[in-house]
This record gives sequence, structure tokens and C-alpha cells, in this order.
Amino acid sequence: MHPSPLRLASSRPSPDDDRPEEVIGPPAFSGVNLLAGLFKLASYKDLIYTLTLVRLQVRYKQSILGWIWAVAQPLALMLAYTLIFSVLGRIPSEGVPYPAFTLAALLPWTVFSSSVNNATGGMVHFGYLLTKVYFPREIIPFTYVLAALFDFVVQLVVLIGILLYYHVHLTIRILYIIPVMFCVALFSAGIALLLSAWQVHFRDVGVAMPLSLQVWMLASPVVYPLRSVPAGLRRIYLLNPLAGLVENFRRAMIPGLALDWGLLAVSALLSAAGFLLCYAVFKHLDSTLADVI
Amino acid sequence: MVDLSCEDVHKKYRIRKPADAAQTRARWIPRLWSRWPAGSEFWALRGVNFKVECGEALGIIGPNGAGKTTVLKLLSRITAPTKGRIRVRGRLAALIEVSAGFHNELTGRENIYLSGSILGMSRPEISRKLDSIVEFSGLREFLEVPVKRYSTGMYLRLGFAIAAHLEPDILLLDEVLAVGDLAFQAKCQERIAQLRQSGVTLVVISHDLGAVERLCDRVLLLQHGALIDDGRPKDVIARYVTLPIAQAGSGNWSSAGKPAACTGLSFRSGIHGRDAIRTGDPLIARVDYEARERVTGVTFNLLFWWQSGYLCAQLSTALDGAGITLEAGKGYVEFSCPTLAMQPGMYRVDASLARGSSVIDQHERCSILRVDPGKVVLGDFYMPHTWQLVPERLGVLG
Repeated sequence: MHPSPLRLASSRPSPDDDRPEEVIGPPAFSGVNLLAGLFKLASYKDLIYTLTLVRLQVRYKQSILGWIWAVAQPLALMLAYTLIFSVLGRIPSEGVPYPAFTLAALLPWTVFSSSVNNATGGMVHFGYLLTKVYFPREIIPFTYVLAALFDFVVQLVVLIGILLYYHVHLTIRILYIIPVMFCVALFSAGIALLLSAWQVHFRDVGVAMPLSLQVWMLASPVVYPLRSVPAGLRRIYLLNPLAGLVENFRRAMIPGLALDWGLLAVSALLSAAGFLLCYAVFKHLDSTLADVI
Repeated sequence: MVDLSCEDVHKKYRIRKPADAAQTRARWIPRLWSRWPAGSEFWALRGVNFKVECGEALGIIGPNGAGKTTVLKLLSRITAPTKGRIRVRGRLAALIEVSAGFHNELTGRENIYLSGSILGMSRPEISRKLDSIVEFSGLREFLEVPVKRYSTGMYLRLGFAIAAHLEPDILLLDEVLAVGDLAFQAKCQERIAQLRQSGVTLVVISHDLGAVERLCDRVLLLQHGALIDDGRPKDVIARYVTLPIAQAGSGNWSSAGKPAACTGLSFRSGIHGRDAIRTGDPLIARVDYEARERVTGVTFNLLFWWQSGYLCAQLSTALDGAGITLEAGKGYVEFSCPTLAMQPGMYRVDASLARGSSVIDQHERCSILRVDPGKVVLGDFYMPHTWQLVPERLGVLG
């Protein structure tokens, strides 16, 4: 006999128990449902943790460099951009060496781009699971964002190493990256939710992804400073919440530049609004995703 | 106390067709807010109502496409109903495919955590049950091997071992009663029986009518997305096997374009006035035919299949050598078996009509033979037998 942890008949709740009754109805859309959906995620924290862990475990299985890839990608971009924008063309870099200048911006950008890029295909990739098991569907895109944040922490160590190498003094101000990264994660999660649900209906989303991300990066102050954007364009330019977030992340990392609090507030507001809007669309679509995949 | 209830539940699907692509392209902006692809509607369920009492075992049967799986998917929240309400009281676990949560690159141990979390266990709970899960699966030495190296059987065993350690109040099963080899199947069935004893509410959808009858207190019969019967397993199963659609199976009884065809199949007990067919009784099987022209060298065959898919027995006119000559017109062939050797259960039946080695007309799974308990013996078959007592008498032998 196997020693399975059997419940005895007596452990069955008595008939007059008050186990909560759950009512499943047709998809209904309301602000209350939206918030309830977010709060319900708390009871799935173990699943979120496990899926994120799996995401990290699986990514570099059967690869030789393994973890090094997480760092190699932004470093390679840093070298390429240094060559193009610093050696060949001259772009002002706020008084720090260009590699440090651009890597500081690449880190928050990479969180956004890898979250969105990976999560977009995520829902379709896990289609076999969505049609067999129930759990809140938003968990899948969220785990991609969490995995990207984990990579970010590793990359941050490398960034700090590079700043030290260039004798850039680190101050306690780098703690300001925490609220900045919170907003980056929130906005990334929003876009990841939206695109992963649309990808189920239209595979075009995934096909357009590399190009869109490239354009989006050029529309954010990653390879150039925000102040080189003409003042007349600023207003439209800053509608992209990543612009203010990437800029402020860099300002927190590099001493001598003050944080632009006004800009950060606008970006935070746009990120939160963007997240809620995307989450609303996602919750509207998610009840039939399993039927459409 | 009601654990589960469905109130007027409807479910609509849309089927996307290639022709709809152009329409989608033309009107893609509204589609960004649409839950459905462009396509034609299909109602998988139309107004289903039922309640499941706490601790009850409910079976759902019906032909393919009747909506059984849809019911399970709605109860487990995989998809939402289009209309109606479903109420669920207590912790619900749905086993639609036991190894669905596996990731091929991960090891057995990692997959226990992954699949366990997906099925709703917490990580501490999984750690606590890990040993017992591994023991149940019998895969201890493969625990650190990626599951992509597992055989299909090992895969299923690990999946079921995890599922067997859920402690739900309500368990939904989709044809997962039989995985792995015979020993493991027995283990699974034993576990399900244990769950039943501990008072778990069970909902099973299955084509294995014998298993449904053994396991369930009550059975629902679904057809074309509607509930057409609800009652004692024996009665509902009896109703199901006489449904035209269950009998027609994949083939229909049309004789169009064939020189001769089977047009019907029925069974009855060889004992006059007895309505059930029982082990040990005589059985009479009648195959109706229709011939459009004179056909020579014909043989009639009936194949009986176990629910497990193995061939159980055959009735054939070919055993007597010469084929039959059918004149144009209708008629029937009657097989008489003096003693039915088959054990109680449900047997799928194929009927075919052949000329020489070429099959003229074939009906796979065209009917179901239901055998009720008669002479009760152990084993796969009842062997007709007699016996006599022979006491050893010393005087005679000496």
C-alpha cells in the first residue's frame, strides 16, 4: 500500500458547513470585477512563483552559456550603440562615458522589451494549458514580467560594476530606481497583458513585435539624452511613459543629474492608467481565450 | 446540501472559417474588443440544468459532440458560459488531462511542483506530499530526469500520482480512469474509490459505460447540447444504448449505392419473455439486410469489442464454408447462441457484410450489446460446464 495522505470520512466538512459558494456566470465587465481580479491573484502567489521559477529554469536549459546570456544581451547592445553613437557619431552623454550612459538606460528598456516580447507569444504557447486547467489567465504574462525583473537584478550588478570601472561615484540616490522600476514593471505588465490576449486572436501581433519594439526604443531616450529632443516635440514625446522612466532611471544612477520629479509623476500616472486600461481589455477578452486559441 | 448546480447554462462557440479572414481584415478594429473570431455560431450547450448533491457521484454520458466536455470546462472555469449560472461550493479539482501541466525540459521533481501548483496545491503542501507522490508513481529513480525522456506511460503515471494527491471537495474527471498498465489502473481506481468513501463529490464524463455504472450514483444523458435523461445509471445507460445516434455510430444504415447492405441490428434473449440479456442464457442476434440485386457468396459478421478496445468475440456465417445467396429484397439473418459466454458489461458491436474477401457494407460501432449478470463467475468468460460428484468407494476399487 502507498502511504497516501488520505482524508478520513470525518474530515469532510459537515453538511451545514459554510464553504464559500462561487458563482460562475457569463463574462461581465465592471470596475469591481477588475479590482477583484487583481486581489484574487494573492491566493495564486505560489503558482506565480512556481511559473516564474520555471521560466527562469527553462530558458537556458541545454545552452552552454546559460545565465551569462541574461547579461550578454544588454552588454552586446551597449557595445554596439557605443560604436555607432559615440565613436562614429557624437551624441552627448551627460558627462559620463557613453557605455555607462547607454547601459544605464538599456536596463529599464530591456525589462520592458523582453517582458513584452516574450509575453506576447506566451498565451498561445501555453494554449495547451489554458484549455485544460483553470487559473487566472493574467498570471502567464505576469510571470514573463517577473522573470525580466529577475534578469534586471543580475544586470544591475553588472551596471554597477561598469560605473565603478569608469570611476562614477555611486550615491544613495540610486535607491530612486525602485519607484522608477515599479512603474516600468507596471507599464510592461499592462502592454504584455494586452498583446498576449490580442496575439490569441491575431498572430500578426507577434510578427510585428520586433519592428515595433525597435521603433519604440528609438522613441525613448535610450541611446540619446532626453534634452536632445527638440522642445517642440517634447509634449508628444513624453506621452510615451517609458521616455520619462528611462530618463529618470539614468538620472538616478548617474550622479550630477537631478531627478525630474514632474516628469516621473507624469510617467507614473501614464503607466498606471495604461496598466488599468490594458488590464480592462484583457479581462474583457480572457473568459473566451481558451475557446479561441 | 448542493455542491454544484447548473442553471439554464448555454454555451456558444464560433467556428472560424478560412473565408472569414477577408472579413476580419476589413473590419479589424472592432475585433480588438471582440471575444470571438469572425465565424459561424455553434451552440454546444442549450439550457442545461442539474444539481449535484454533496458526496454524490454523477456520470455524464452521451455521443461525441453532445457537450460533455463543454460541461466539464464550464464547471472548472476553463471557459465561461454564454448564458446561465453555475454555482460551485468547495474546492474543485478538474482532471481533464492529468499531464497537461508538465514542462518537457524540467525534471520529474520540478514537474511535480509545476503541475501541483497549476492544479492548485501550495508549495508547502507539495513538499509535504512529495514522497507520497513519488511512491505512488513508482518513478523514484527517474525523479531527476527531464520528463521529455519519459515514456508515455511514465508521463501519465506521474500526472495521475500528482492528481491523486489533490484533496478536493469536488473532483471532475474526463476519461482519466484508465491510464498506464493494469496494475497502475487498479491503483487509480482504488484511489478513486477511496476518495468516494471520504465523501468527495465526483463528476465523471466517460464513454466507458461499464465504469460509469460501477462508479456513479446518478447519470445524466446529453445529446446535442441538451439534457435528455437524468436518473439511475442502469436506466439512463439503457436509454443511451437505444438512442438512434448511439446505434448509428460512425456509419448510417443507408444502403444507397451498395448491392446489399445491413439495415438494422438487434439482440434479444433466447428465453421467451425475458427482457434482459444475461450471461449463461441463450442469445439471439438479428441482422436485417436489404439487397438491391441478387448477390451470391455473401457472409454476415458481427464483432463484439470490450470497452478497452480489444476484440472479444465474433459471430459469423462464414464458418459453414459456402456463402449465402441473397435474392433482391429485404430479410434478416438470425444468429442463435445457446449459451452467452460474455460477462456482464457493455460491448460495442460492428456489423459487416462481405462477398468473398471484399467488404460490401460495414458499420463500425453500430450498436451496443448490454449483458446483465446471469450466471456469476469470475474471469473474462463464462464457460458452460457441468459437474458430477464421484466419491471414492474403497470396496469397488479394492
